[in-house]
Amino acid sequence: MGIRLASQLQEKNTLFSKLLVEDSMRRQVITLPMDQIISSAIRTIIKFKVDAVLVTDGEGLPAGIITKTEIMGTYYADLPLEIPLSDIMASPVITCSPKDTLESALVTMQQAAIHRIYVTNEGGKAIGTLSYPDIVGHLYRFCCDCDYGMRKRSESSDHEKLRYSIKDVMTPTVTTALDTDSITEVIEKLSSFQLGALLIIDESGKHAGVISKTDLALAYCRNVPLDANAHAIMNGPVKLCADNQPLEEGIRQMVFSEISRLFVHGSDHEVCTGVLSLSDAARTRSGSCQACSSARIKVKEQ
Amino acid sequence: MITARHIMSTEFHSLQPGTTIADAAKEFKYASEKEGRRVFGMMVIENEKLVGILSMYDLLLFLQPKHVHIWGEMSDLDISGLFENISAKTKDIRVSDIMSTEVVTVEESSNVFTVLEIMNRKHIRRVPVVDNNRVLGIVYISDLFFHLVDNIV
Repeated sequence: MGIRLASQLQEKNTLFSKLLVEDSMRRQVITLPMDQIISSAIRTIIKFKVDAVLVTDGEGLPAGIITKTEIMGTYYADLPLEIPLSDIMASPVITCSPKDTLESALVTMQQAAIHRIYVTNEGGKAIGTLSYPDIVGHLYRFCCDCDYGMRKRSESSDHEKLRYSIKDVMTPTVTTALDTDSITEVIEKLSSFQLGALLIIDESGKHAGVISKTDLALAYCRNVPLDANAHAIMNGPVKLCADNQPLEEGIRQMVFSEISRLFVHGSDHEVCTGVLSLSDAARTRSGSCQACSSARIKVKEQ
Repeated sequence: MITARHIMSTEFHSLQPGTTIADAAKEFKYASEKEGRRVFGMMVIENEKLVGILSMYDLLLFLQPKHVHIWGEMSDLDISGLFENISAKTKDIRVSDIMSTEVVTVEESSNVFTVLEIMNRKHIRRVPVVDNNRVLGIVYISDLFFHLVDNIV
């Protein structure tokens, strides 16, 4: 069974206080029984393009969760692909109710430092998931409908200075590894800095590719040895955007390219100055524009 | 007694685990033309041994854009270039990355009604016929159905 956390932080009055979890959750929950093995979990994650699989017990109730982080840890420990999910899953599963406000679900996610929350019904069965990309969709629509939105920017250029740019929201540090580093070293960096992906650079310092947790899961599934070079499993070319572009442009690029983060460059295109993740975008809670600080936010009554 | 051996197809197309998803998709089209039937699933064979099954559904799941469920919220999203983007991804992912490895199989000597029961219970439409994991053929639900029609009805 999943557990519900009592909210300790005071809920802010934002756009998300008026929306319910059931309005923005995904109703497709990807699950596997706990006697399944880790290679099945990797294939499921790749095929369904999800970041996690819910592990269920004999009654079909949530027992644990396998995220790309658990998969990376199992790879690092050089454990066989036949290890059962019950041995490596993280538990308990943090859950919320479909009638909770989006704001309270976000507070819970922040408190528990998780990227997705499972929505359970009264019987404890998982009926949906809520993750940052789902919230980004709401945020995006709200911004486009707003009078200060990008779409209307040409008519209201006075407000242009109020827009958030990628630079305002991005994490201004970039963690890199060399393309000659081993996979073990890449995993150590990813986990010690708690990152989703590393920028891989070559000897001359130029960006050569990216290694995300998805790339590591694929490498594990394909039996790539841990002492292989980063070069063997990295993805290239690096998807980049300029730091002075509006936040929506970054969101658009990520959604479109099916990636969770973009590397950001300044005036010099060869130098990465930061990383923008979909989670960063979603955490910029009250919209992507300073025009709607939580006090002034306008939500249309439905 | 009628067994799997009588109703299985011994002429079939299969996939290699290391084949890219892009090439596998072409293989589905090619196999459908050659076999004169819509091929919805293919066995994945390595060194004559069955290692998995890839279905058209597996491919379609992978071709679905990741955040498509929130596109409704993003009506102004410019989707030009989307096909190129998905197409590039299919060249990085292999058959073995998304195939099903838990494959239900039968033996040559399995009774036709046992095969029928397995197909009904597991909701599957094709069952590989194996001898010690070596593939001998495949039973399609349509062949089984028409065999029953000819012999029973």
